Amino acid sequence: MKFPSLSSFSSPSPMDHAQCLRLMVFNSLRAGRYIHRFWGTSTLSLDSFCAFGYPVICSRMKEIKVKDASTWCTLVPDGEPHIQSVCEDHKCSSVSVKSTPEIEKKYVHRVYDAIAPHFSSTRFAKWPKVAAFLESLPTGSLVLDAGCGNGKYLGLNSSCYFIGCDISPPLIKICVDKGHEALVADAVNLPYRTNFGDAAISIAVLHHLSTENRRKKAIEELVRVVRKGGLVLITVWAVEQEDKSLLTKWTPLTEKHVEEWRGPRSPCVRCPSSFSLESIPETEENGLSGHMKDSRESLMEDMQQSACLNPQNKDDSLVSKDGRSQQEYFVPWHLPYHRAEVSGASAVALATGLAKKDDKKGAVVYNRYYHVFGEGELERLVSGMDNAVIVDKFYDKSNCGSLCTLFMVEFGFSNMKNEIKKLLVKDTSPSLK
Amino acid sequence: MRLLTHNMLSSNIKGVTNGFPLRIEVEKVVEKEVEINHDFLRNIFPKIDWKAFSDASRIMGYVELPEEAPEPSVLESDLEFLRKFHHALLELHLEEGALVCPETGRKFPVNKGIPNMLLHEDEV
Repeated sequence: MKFPSLSSFSSPSPMDHAQCLRLMVFNSLRAGRYIHRFWGTSTLSLDSFCAFGYPVICSRMKEIKVKDASTWCTLVPDGEPHIQSVCEDHKCSSVSVKSTPEIEKKYVHRVYDAIAPHFSSTRFAKWPKVAAFLESLPTGSLVLDAGCGNGKYLGLNSSCYFIGCDISPPLIKICVDKGHEALVADAVNLPYRTNFGDAAISIAVLHHLSTENRRKKAIEELVRVVRKGGLVLITVWAVEQEDKSLLTKWTPLTEKHVEEWRGPRSPCVRCPSSFSLESIPETEENGLSGHMKDSRESLMEDMQQSACLNPQNKDDSLVSKDGRSQQEYFVPWHLPYHRAEVSGASAVALATGLAKKDDKKGAVVYNRYYHVFGEGELERLVSGMDNAVIVDKFYDKSNCGSLCTLFMVEFGFSNMKNEIKKLLVKDTSPSLK
Repeated sequence: MRLLTHNMLSSNIKGVTNGFPLRIEVEKVVEKEVEINHDFLRNIFPKIDWKAFSDASRIMGYVELPEEAPEPSVLESDLEFLRKFHHALLELHLEEGALVCPETGRKFPVNKGIPNMLLHEDEV
């Protein structure tokens, strides 16, 4: 994968946007199959990626056939794109978009706080595309990682200055203990001056935001804090909606979750129709640096477990009975007993019903809330901004799902969009296969 | 928290017009050496709000920086200045203390070097 022009991006001058536009063209490969394909006879290659861009070592996994491999060279959309609202309950717009809805408090914030050290220990493989982007930034760049988690990408380019922020204090503590600069903050309300950073990244974060307005706000914040001509890289978990055979092992949100979701500051509820109890293996392994035994064991266990379970659900479709797509899910996290605290977060979580014990697996099971992005959804959100331009997008080759990533270049002048469009059309590079 | 980070931070409380710079309240400052990179300093220099940076360094106990921003040409040749710039920018850490919103007086705590910039419900 090459970044031919970014190396020439040496000055923060706004007039260098022409150069910085000639960015990479990636393959967009959508692999819509997910873990239900895991049991089979073929083996996945070690460098295939899981949903969150981390390699997963699983034996006995079926070969994933990629649907198509088309090259994206993104053009600036014509006219004034607008964001279609998927939120049908207009009552929920009265609360500040920066207020955290209950579902995120319970199924994102508290979960990550409780699982932080274990979560961090499984998050070390760096997604090459993100790494390449960061490595391409010029010396002295100020890079903001909003939703940095355990700080995996902080300091990746030693000639740049990284500031990480995350909503989870335990995760930020892990970053700071490693010597990184990090603070506790909300991605929907970044505490940074406007137009100060050179680049910003949001890696696997936006899918934890439960309303479209909040996701949009988070993108606006990323664009706001980056200088004109700067770059933003966003990755989210996305699936192809027309791929009806995609069976996720996640729990779609059901009626029983409605009350929790419809708290005082709640997003709209969509009606899921399918209900699946299978759990997703949460561990990741790096083929180069070895693996953690207990992770691998629990991974195998999960897969075998999943093969037996399919209690009520006959409808494997992503589309609910009323025709709307199911995009809201709970994804389990298995926190092994020996990792859970004796007293503290896990004990409280169990007592309040936030988590459940699974004695067979020897783990406390937490659920994390995810909004799985639909096809073109991220692009649509970005396109709706008049001060940001999609420079490129791609879907990572993935056997467990697809990741949609966008580069955005921020401009102060909307009439520049046509200039960019001309540049992009002229400068179509061959796709990188 | 390093002063380079402080130079980026702004109060994001609802209704605040200008939340920069945050006033520093010091309880504990720690010095941690880090390797100097001249190119990095030259590239970062234009981004820095010098007055805020210089004032902050004084509050942190370091008085070597000039109050007025030097000419960029100084960074090309003046190694002594580069060393001082580097030290104040990257080697001084606010370990314990607070960052105070200039308009509302609201204190954002800094513990173990970590600022907590999360707002309360009534501040968003």
